[in-house]
Amino acid sequence: MSILYDEGQQAIATESRRVLEARVNKDELLPLLEVTGKYHDGFWNTAKEQGWTALALPEAYGGLDLGLVELGLIAHQAGRSLSGAPFLTGSFGAAKAIELYGSDEQKAKYLPGLASGETIGAVAFASGSNALPTLPSVTLTDNRLDGTSTGVAGGLAADIAVVYANGPGMPVLVVADLTNVARNAIDSFDNSRLYADLGFAGTPAETLVVGGAARDAALHVLALQAVITAHEQTGGAEAMMEIARDYAVTRRAFGQVIGAFQSIKHRIAELYGFVELARANCIHAASREGQADFVTAAAAARISATEAYDSASRDCVQIHGGMGVTWELGLHLHTRRARSLAIEQGNLLFWEDVLVDRLTGEAA
Amino acid sequence: MSDLDAYRTKAAAWLESMVPTYGKEARKGLSVEEDLAIARQYQRAKFDAGYAGINWPTEYGGQGLGHLEKVTFDGEEMKHGFPSFYFGISLGMPIPVLMQFGSDKEFVKERVLKALKGEEIWCQLFSEPSGGSDLAGLRTKAEADGNGWRINGQKIWTSWAQYSDYGVIVVRTDPNVPKHKGLTYFWVDMKAPGVTVRPIKLVGGDSHVNEVFFDDVKISDDHRMSPVGGGFAVAIATLMIERYVATDSAGFGPHLDLFVDLAKDTELNGKPAIEDGRIRQQIARNYAMRSGLQSITARAMAMMQAGMVPGPEGSLNKLVAVRSRQKLSELAIDLQGSGGFAYDDHASQKENWTSSWINAPTGRIAGGSDETLLNTIAEKILGLPQDHRPDKGVPFNQIPA
Ligand SMILES: Cc1cc2nc3c(=O)[nH]c(=O)nc-3n(C[C@H](O)[C@H](O)[C@H](O)COP(=O)(O)OP(=O)(O)OC[C@H]3O[C@@H](n4cnc5c(N)ncnc54)[C@H](O)[C@@H]3O)c2cc1C
Repeated sequence: MSILYDEGQQAIATESRRVLEARVNKDELLPLLEVTGKYHDGFWNTAKEQGWTALALPEAYGGLDLGLVELGLIAHQAGRSLSGAPFLTGSFGAAKAIELYGSDEQKAKYLPGLASGETIGAVAFASGSNALPTLPSVTLTDNRLDGTSTGVAGGLAADIAVVYANGPGMPVLVVADLTNVARNAIDSFDNSRLYADLGFAGTPAETLVVGGAARDAALHVLALQAVITAHEQTGGAEAMMEIARDYAVTRRAFGQVIGAFQSIKHRIAELYGFVELARANCIHAASREGQADFVTAAAAARISATEAYDSASRDCVQIHGGMGVTWELGLHLHTRRARSLAIEQGNLLFWEDVLVDRLTGEAA
Repeated sequence: MSDLDAYRTKAAAWLESMVPTYGKEARKGLSVEEDLAIARQYQRAKFDAGYAGINWPTEYGGQGLGHLEKVTFDGEEMKHGFPSFYFGISLGMPIPVLMQFGSDKEFVKERVLKALKGEEIWCQLFSEPSGGSDLAGLRTKAEADGNGWRINGQKIWTSWAQYSDYGVIVVRTDPNVPKHKGLTYFWVDMKAPGVTVRPIKLVGGDSHVNEVFFDDVKISDDHRMSPVGGGFAVAIATLMIERYVATDSAGFGPHLDLFVDLAKDTELNGKPAIEDGRIRQQIARNYAMRSGLQSITARAMAMMQAGMVPGPEGSLNKLVAVRSRQKLSELAIDLQGSGGFAYDDHASQKENWTSSWINAPTGRIAGGSDETLLNTIAEKILGLPQDHRPDKGVPFNQIPA
């Protein structure tokens, strides 16, 4: 069953939107594309100040004890405004991994910093094209990590990372301090995501989960992040749909506004369908946290949100004609973000497989 | 257990008890006439058990319950393939409109009761050869004739007209004014002299739609359900009724589980088709689409329950669901390869992929074509401009045919 947002939740949505619209603008975001290693600290400072980093974490560790629903609403607004820092997802994922699978000591050690936003977290599960490999490329021996995690979002700034590794004969989920880790910056089409390959060489790591349960745990963390990302994607898609609509009712050609041409008008109406389906799946998935079908719901949200954001950014650019492809207008900020978010937390192919495994009862 | 869950349990048990007499298996091999006779009995049984007119006022013989109970019952009923479709139009639009706009309350009450019991059936005579999407472009005319009216012209695509006792009809009463302004809404007796019904055979082999000819059909002025010239508004009200009726996320085709089963049981390149990425992708995307629609519906229901008005996103249901059903059905046939040729025109659209596929195009046309639904979303929800309409403001009889 899906939920209806209550008044408090609606207030979170309205307030975060107001704050982000006032503090994030494309003129600050555009220059970030041309350098590697910089992110929009205005956004991150806002997130800390507003308590967003603490929102979905337990009160005992400095959190506000709210959940995916509330954080999802903020992610939606962050997606609308293209807020340029990956930590909303990464720090949250790392914190949830520690909260769900860590010891009391580990929670006390990491969670307060993650909740206040002073510690930046990342999640490093992927190995090349595989979001959750059967044989991770990073290995754990005697509590030390070796190997490379590829394309870690936020990897250039993160203080700690939760890593899915290959332990002695079995997978493990660990948390590692990144202070002395080699970070190879990836010069990306969406640079403010701070992608990096992390090179571990005898890096000390603390174990969270060992054995078969480690994979389930990793998938669960990925699903939590996927739901947040899906909200962000839906927000981005919604913004692109609205920008397209606004342009279509002002730009004129052949004696009428272009929105009167059905090929334009119907395209925007189709986007409405994508956005609303994605939104509905996001609301549903967030409300299933803790339930047996959560991963299924997360996969559905991820698939429809990826489709929505890609379609909306593609069509919005097309509807703008030549203006759509200029640097200044900044629509490409969304085009880029649509693609980067499509890969972060597992691509479509990954989530399609996860979903079908669940539907056929072949889930690992 | 919530009240609604209790309602569902009770309804499900009752429906289960009806399966041996009225289910698909029991009706196999019957002619349409025989099936309709059984369907009338089933409708009567529903009435007696308190499942007819669930959300209608009790003063007209309804149950006075909410939309939620209605949708809950429909959801359960849909699982068994009962013959309720004969009454779908009748109880879906014409009768609710009659309750809202009929002036002679005694007459209305009698008709509603008979329709609820399956004794009488109503049809909706809107579309014409000259105007389907362009509803206001219709040409059938009613001319003043003494105290009443005389109707001449032709309607088309009228579902179940051949079995109908009455119909609601929109006709042109004034060709000298712009098209929307010269229409008037009436009810007609389908057995009246001058009414001829001719069935049309559809692609799937059935003939539930008809051409209906009106040849000097006389009706009295008390058949009028709108002001003279005010028929378009009532027609739109008719189309707006029961907006959340089309809430089957499968687009009235087979459940996705059936496709998963097919993919597990079918070999593709020597391996189970379920292992093929193309097949998996379609399953995953269809699931995501359908779960989105279900979530929209669930929220709409929760909103209605809470006394709120649901958002406009419910209008996506038919548009999105039927298109995806059409493509998934194609894929299901592809998957069976040379084993996919067989066709049984009695097979259920909800269980048989070929039947689903051959009948899917009707779903993309009936009740508003994809294009007109997109126009509605674009114009009503997103505020995009109306299409260029050269006939706007022009008296109907001056619009080039
Ligand atoms: C099975 C079935 C049952 C039906 N039952 C009934 C019934 O009981 N009563 C009744 O009154 N009617 C009924 N209809 C009629 C149905 O409402 C119409 O068929 C439908 O509205 C389309 O009208 P049309 O067939 O005249 O197509 P047209 O309106 O001629 O459309 C032809 C094509 O042009 C497109 N088109 C039209 N206008 C536009 C536009 N503005 N922009 C873009 N594209 C456009 C359409 O989308 C379509 O692709 C039924 C139809 C079917 C198939």
